[in-house]
Amino acid sequence: MKHWWNSGEPWIWLTAASVTVSILAVVSLLLLIIWQGLGHFWPASVMEAEYQDHDGKITVLGEVRGEEVVPASRLQEMGIVVKGDLVTRYLLKTGNREILGMDFRWVLAENLQQQRYPKEVIVIERREWGNFYGYLQAVKEEGKVVSEGPEAWVELQTRLDRTLTLYEEIRNISKYDIGKVNHGLEQLRLVQRRLELNNDTDPAKQQQLADERVVLQARFEELNQQLANLYQAVNRDSFSAKVMDGRVVDISLANVVKVYRPNSLSGPEKLGFYVMKFWEFVSDEPREANTEGGIFPAIFGTVIMVLIMSVMVTPFGVIAAVYLHEYAKQNFLTRTIRVAVNNLAGIPSIVYGVFGLGFFVYFIGAKIDLWFFPEALPAPTFGTPGLLWASITLALLTLPVVIVSTEEGLARIPKSIREGSLALGATKAETLWRTVIPMASPAIMTGLILAIARAAGEVAPLMLVGVVKLAPALAIDNNTPFLHLDRKFMHLGFHIYDVGFQSPNVEAGRPLVYATAFLLVTVIVVLNLAAIWIRNQLREKYKALETA
Amino acid sequence: MNEEEFTQHHISQQFNLELRELRNQVLSMGGLVEEQLSNALIALTNNDQQLAKRVYANDYKINALEVAIDEESTRILARRQPTASDLRLVMAVIKTIPDLERIGDQAERIAHMALQMPNETQAKHFVTINHLGEKVRQMLHDALDAFARLDVEVALQVMREDHKIDHESDSIYRQLITYMMEDPRAIPIALNIMWSARALERIAAHSCNICEYLIYFVKGKDVRHISLEQVEKQARQPR
Amino acid sequence: MNNSTLTHGIDIAQLGRGEATLCLDDEHLCIVVKNLNLYYGDKQALKDVNMGIPSRRVTAYIGPSGCGKSTLLRCFNRMNDLTDDVHIDGEILLDGNDIHRPSVNVADLRRRVGMVFQKPNPFPKSVYENVAYGLRLQGINSRRVLDEVVEKSLKGAALWDEVKDRLYDNALGLSGGQQQRLVIARAIAIEPEVLLLDEPASALDPISTLKIEELINELKTEYTIVIVTHNMQQAARVSDYTAFMYLGELIEFGDTSSLFTNPAKKQTEDYITGRYG
Repeated sequence: MKHWWNSGEPWIWLTAASVTVSILAVVSLLLLIIWQGLGHFWPASVMEAEYQDHDGKITVLGEVRGEEVVPASRLQEMGIVVKGDLVTRYLLKTGNREILGMDFRWVLAENLQQQRYPKEVIVIERREWGNFYGYLQAVKEEGKVVSEGPEAWVELQTRLDRTLTLYEEIRNISKYDIGKVNHGLEQLRLVQRRLELNNDTDPAKQQQLADERVVLQARFEELNQQLANLYQAVNRDSFSAKVMDGRVVDISLANVVKVYRPNSLSGPEKLGFYVMKFWEFVSDEPREANTEGGIFPAIFGTVIMVLIMSVMVTPFGVIAAVYLHEYAKQNFLTRTIRVAVNNLAGIPSIVYGVFGLGFFVYFIGAKIDLWFFPEALPAPTFGTPGLLWASITLALLTLPVVIVSTEEGLARIPKSIREGSLALGATKAETLWRTVIPMASPAIMTGLILAIARAAGEVAPLMLVGVVKLAPALAIDNNTPFLHLDRKFMHLGFHIYDVGFQSPNVEAGRPLVYATAFLLVTVIVVLNLAAIWIRNQLREKYKALETA
Repeated sequence: MNEEEFTQHHISQQFNLELRELRNQVLSMGGLVEEQLSNALIALTNNDQQLAKRVYANDYKINALEVAIDEESTRILARRQPTASDLRLVMAVIKTIPDLERIGDQAERIAHMALQMPNETQAKHFVTINHLGEKVRQMLHDALDAFARLDVEVALQVMREDHKIDHESDSIYRQLITYMMEDPRAIPIALNIMWSARALERIAAHSCNICEYLIYFVKGKDVRHISLEQVEKQARQPR
Repeated sequence: MNNSTLTHGIDIAQLGRGEATLCLDDEHLCIVVKNLNLYYGDKQALKDVNMGIPSRRVTAYIGPSGCGKSTLLRCFNRMNDLTDDVHIDGEILLDGNDIHRPSVNVADLRRRVGMVFQKPNPFPKSVYENVAYGLRLQGINSRRVLDEVVEKSLKGAALWDEVKDRLYDNALGLSGGQQQRLVIARAIAIEPEVLLLDEPASALDPISTLKIEELINELKTEYTIVIVTHNMQQAARVSDYTAFMYLGELIEFGDTSSLFTNPAKKQTEDYITGRYG
């Protein structure tokens, strides 16, 4: 034993154990997120069963979404009579919120009888009111039944395809075409306002504006008419379906996103459905207070914010580091600055948020509005939280990381390389620009990688300087100037917070929290991998450092 | 500069040893040569055939030493790449060795003459050669002494002596010619003595060479083939 | 010339004795150092150095570590300016003009006085770009001119044959000796008047070292070469004149053959023969 202790082997085990614990923690975190988040998109079977409730026997229909064992005493406190000490209960997603009043209900396993999985059960994803579970009865056109019985399913699908195509058209028109017209009208209003502010009453200009406005108004009317027609066409079809308690309801096809029969799907079909659902989650816009649909705007917002942040923090950090390391005399002042920069990295991020709001938004933003966008006042342009301020705030937050790692990179470049360049008649600036900074670029990239990792996961300051629950438009669109830095945006981290804590529908939101977390991790990993790849390319190119 | 300084204070102790060893070998070769010469001279004047044979027999030792010292010098040149005084020491040694070897050869020649002398040679023939021999032996001794003590003054004295030796041998030749004219029977003996005188004169010249090498070694000045006055001027210049 | 003095092509009348065939007094001086003192803070690194460096000759500096030989070398292209807290007084004249005058542009000076360092320090660029670096700094970007200079310089540095097929490969792929010759090619590409070599072969193997020495021998027909070396044999092999420095002072300066066979000063003697003082 003593010999084993002296051999030093215990240290190997100790160090290895700590690494193992870390790896286990990371892996189990990822596994949890992946399992909980990605399982959500699998088309679960719909169970029908007889359920003995305290006030009688009812039929329940829904997906089993969870299972837990609770002590009987807890249920008894809630006034539910149960036998035994421990009871198993299931969380059943019954959907049909507008009919039943709630999406989810807990059922006691012992009271469930005759569990069955009927093949004809249909699940409908709707634009409003969440999922619908029930049995298809008939398909109607203008209120008249056109198909009944088993054929109704086929008919429903063809009609749904038509409706979805129309709906897509409606979406395009209202989002892009009308959006463009509105943008044009707003611009005209601003131009007119600017003329007023400048006391410019040139009738020719006024006339021109009026003419343009007439053209746009006409276009607007035209598009509105198109929309009205399309809405009428969309609302043509409907269908009737029976709910679990026997009621029959009519549902307009315009309200339907997707219809499927989970119990009759085969394995590969389920897989295909799964992939489609996942893709929808990644690429679609959110619906129903973020609990349904996708999170594309949040992914987009996160990425664009990180990119703008990188574009700002890199040059600024590099220039600061170059001054500190290359030009400034190394004395008490520079040491103080260096310590201050390091401490800046330790300040809680919410403080940066407060600073960003107070300084960037309310001071600089307000000034910008005053000088450059007076025509839009009192509505603020940059004087309100937005993408630009969020990016700048995060750039400030991550600046120390970039400065520190750039300085380290500069310090690692051998003196001989600088002297070599200087001895050839290069000035200090030429030496820096042609040799030193390219050679330090891997270190700069390392700083950027750390900055990205930190910025992409930051939520607290963003809530103050630009993130919103639901952004009306993306930061990039096809209206000039294409990149709208003044707009508010969505962010994955904030989305998690919003869905998890602010959502009216907690049970529906939970899997989305995990799925969003998974995507956030994925986005950060992808951004990091890209930066690491670039860094490795640079390292390969400037590998002098390793041999030096 | 004293004699110790040349072979001491190197950071490499091994180098110190090698240089000292080289110098010691040269000095012992010098001692051997000196002994050969004095034996040969004794054999010649005393007509000691035994001794003459011994001189004859011992010459191989000198040759062996010459080869050994040559090898050692080459080795030092190759391995130590000596500079400045070290280089000059090795160069002086390399040049001194052949001169010593030649002196050895001349001593052997004198011994050869001694063997050929008839027994009844008259003592009068040996008086002058005896004197010359003694002088040359002293010269060689001084040259080797100068080498051992790195004494430039002694070396200069030896070089000045060389002129006197030349004069003296000239007078010996003239004297011998007189003998030969007086008594033709004395010609073989006179010739033997003449050859011996000639050998002694060569030994003096070789001793002079050794002194020149010594001056080169100590002063770094090449004093060959210049007049004695110039040599003295050069050798006495402060470094 | 009188035929009688010529034997087998050797002009016997010209053969010297005791006198060196090279003589400092006859040389045209490229750099003249006058009363040069250099201080690092309070510490004096060079003490009243006076000397002249002859044109188109190889001048070597030898001396123990810390004797100031590299510091002196770095004075010639004002590399010491880069070190904080250095104070210099005295004059260094390059072709008669003091290089410390305010009107002197340091970048121009360094273009005229090239330098090669102890460790090969090629830039992490291609062989071609390394050699073209100095020219690009001067704003020369014409492909034709660059091609020509690169080839000429690489040939001048005896490297052309070895790298002509991989001009666009990274210079760091070359061997140490090739890298050092590349650095020399880089220095001569901008055609300096003086080439300072700071222990150019100390990081190289013996064969590469010999190649560098051979190169130095070839380059001295066009450039004034000043070399600092720890290796006395190297100084003896390559230089025409050698200066021995000790504790910041110039102890002895003279033609290499005399200095190595018959140094005038005991300190020099002790150093070159490997004795402790």
